[in-house]
Amino acid sequence: MKQCLDEGMLQSYFDGELPTSLMESATSHLASCASCAAAVRELEEENALLSEAFALEFSESVPTERLRRRVDAAVAGLQVVRPLVHQPSAISGFFSSLSNLFSFAPQRALGYAALMVVLAFGLIFGLVKLRSSGPTAPENIAKQGTPSDKVAVVPPQESVKPDAGGPAAPTALTPKKASPPIRASYKSTVPKLIAPKPAPVKLLPGERAYLQTIAKLDSTIKQDENNMRPALQAEYQRNLAVVDRAIAASRTAAKKNPNDPDAADFMFAAYQSKVDFLNTIADARVYNGRQ
Amino acid sequence: MKFSLVPAVLAVIISLAGSTQANNDKSDAKSSEKIERSTPVDPHASITLCVMSGKLVVRGWDKSEVHARSTDADQLQFRRVDKSKDPSSVPTRIDVMVIDKQNQRGDCQAIADVEMDVPKEATVQLQTRDGDIYIYGVGGAFAGSQNGDITIERASRFVEAGSVGGSILLKDSSGRVNLSSAGGGVEAYNVKPVSLDDTFEVGTVSGDIQLERVSNAKLSAKTVSGTVTMTGPLAKAGDYGFTTMGGDVVLMLPRDASFRLNARISANSDIVSDFPLKYVAEPPAPPAPKREPVPEAKAKTPKAETKESKAEMKGDKGSKTGPIIAPIIVPRVVVVNPFKRITAICGSGDANITLSSFGGTLHLKKM
Repeated sequence: MKQCLDEGMLQSYFDGELPTSLMESATSHLASCASCAAAVRELEEENALLSEAFALEFSESVPTERLRRRVDAAVAGLQVVRPLVHQPSAISGFFSSLSNLFSFAPQRALGYAALMVVLAFGLIFGLVKLRSSGPTAPENIAKQGTPSDKVAVVPPQESVKPDAGGPAAPTALTPKKASPPIRASYKSTVPKLIAPKPAPVKLLPGERAYLQTIAKLDSTIKQDENNMRPALQAEYQRNLAVVDRAIAASRTAAKKNPNDPDAADFMFAAYQSKVDFLNTIADARVYNGRQ
Repeated sequence: MKFSLVPAVLAVIISLAGSTQANNDKSDAKSSEKIERSTPVDPHASITLCVMSGKLVVRGWDKSEVHARSTDADQLQFRRVDKSKDPSSVPTRIDVMVIDKQNQRGDCQAIADVEMDVPKEATVQLQTRDGDIYIYGVGGAFAGSQNGDITIERASRFVEAGSVGGSILLKDSSGRVNLSSAGGGVEAYNVKPVSLDDTFEVGTVSGDIQLERVSNAKLSAKTVSGTVTMTGPLAKAGDYGFTTMGGDVVLMLPRDASFRLNARISANSDIVSDFPLKYVAEPPAPPAPKREPVPEAKAKTPKAETKESKAEMKGDKGSKTGPIIAPIIVPRVVVVNPFKRITAICGSGDANITLSSFGGTLHLKKM
C-alpha cells in the first residue's frame, strides 16, 4: 500500500473491521509510515480517552454500524408492509380524548405548565445541538473531497514512493445510495468513506509471515481493547510506539539496502520484538478477560 | 410536652450513632481476621496461586507442608489437581483458591494479599494483575504480573518471570532464568547455573536491563530501546548475546577479561572500548535470499594496521584465531564507526560476545 490510509480506513483498521487482506496491507503500511502510525496512535488515544470518560454510557449496548443498517432495513420493510388502518370508532374516540385534553381543570393546568417547561428546554437543547452540529452533509462531503483537508488525506511519506501519476489523489468519497426518507436523512449526516483499493505492497522476503502474525495478534488484542485497564492500556500504547518506531527505522534501512542481509535481520528482529510484545499483551488481556 | 420530646430524640440519635460505631468496630474486627490454612504436600510439589489484585508473598521452609494466610480473603482453600490414584498420598500439585468478600469466585478474581510458606524445593506459580510478588527460597518460580513488581530471591532451580509494566528483581538464585518485561526494568544479581545447559534469557521493550555477577554460560539479553548493563566476570567459553535496536549495551568486565567480540552494528552504532581489541577479518556475510550478492563495504583500517596487514599478506600466520589483519594497540578508547560487522579479540578470546545493535552504542569498560 503506497498511499497513506484515509480516516475511514484507519477507523476500520482500529475497529478491526477490515478484511484480512486489507488488514495485512494496512499493518505493513503502518509499519513503514510514521505519520499513519502516529494517526492510529492518536485515534487509539482518543478512543481510550472517550471510552474512559463515557464508560457508563458505553456499558449500554450500542448497535454497531452493521446492526444499525439491518435495523434500518427492517424498519423500512415494516413501513412498506404495514398499512395505516383507521377505524371510524377509533377516530371518534381519538377526538373525544383530544377534547378532554383541552378542558383546563385546575390539576391539569399545573401539568400543562410543566409540559411547556419541558418542551421549552427541549427546544433550546435542540437549537443548541443544531448549531453545534456544523455544516450539513453535502458540505461535509464536498469539504472532505478537497485536497486541503488534513484529516481525510495524509501526505505521502518519504519511505513511501508516490504513484507514477504524481502525489496521492484525494480520497474518493462516495455517499451511500439514496434510500427511503428516514434512512436517507440518517445516512446524510454520517458520510461514508470508501477506502481506496490498496496497491500491492512490495514486501521483503520473510516479511509477510511477520505481518500476518502481527495482524492476527493485533485483531485479537483489539477485540476487547476497551476492557484493558488504563495502566495496561498506557503501557501498551507506549511500548507499541517504541516498537513501531524501531520497525519503521529498520524497514527503511532494509529498503535502502536491499542487498544487505544484516539490514533485513535488524528489521526481522524488530518485527520479532513486536510479535513478542503483542503476545505478552494478548496473554495479559486473556488474564484481564477473566474478570 | 415539646421540651420532653427533645431529650428523647437526642437519646435515640445518640443510641443509633453508638450502635453504628459498634457495628463498624465489629466489621473492622472481622475484616482484620487472619485466615490460615495448611496442608501436607510433596517436598517437590507444584503450588499455584492466582489473584486479581493483591500482594503475594511466598517463602520456602523446611516442612513438607503448605501454609497459606490472608487478612483480606474470605476463604482460602486447597484444591488438589494432581491425578494420583492413591488418595492417602500427599499431593504433588495443588491450587490455592482465594475467595474474597466481594467476589465469591475463586478463579483469579480475588482482591486480597496472601502469604504462603511452601517446601523449599517446591515450584510456585504466582499470578496477579496489579499487586507485587515476592518469592524467597523456593525450588522453582513462575511469576506473572501486569503492573506489579516482582522480586525473587534464592530460587534454586529455575525462574520465569514476566511483567508488562512492572519491574523484575532477581537475586542470589541459580538455574535456568527467563525474565521479560515490556516497560519495566529488569535487574539480576548473583545468579549462577546449576547445569551447563542453564540459560539466562532476559528481554524488554523499553525497560532497562541490569545484570551483575551472572555466571550462566549462555546469556541472551534483548531490548528495543532500553539500556543493557552487565557487570562481572565472563564465564569461560561462555556465550553472550546482546540485541538492541536503540538502547546502549554497557559491559563492565574485569581487567583480565578474555573474549571474542562478534558485532553487527549499523552506521548509527558505535563501539567504545577500554580494552585492547585485535580486529579479525570480517566473516563473509551469508548471502541474502533471492538477492544478487554485493561486495561488502570494506571498513576503514587505522594506519597502524598497515605493517601488520602487510606481514599477514606475506604469510605471517602466528595466530590461531584466523587471519588477523588489524592487531592494534588501543591506548584508551577506540571508536569504530561505521563498520557493519566487526570481529575482535581481547586476550585469548575465551568467551564469545555477540552484539547486534541497530542504533545503540556498545561500551566495553574495565571494572
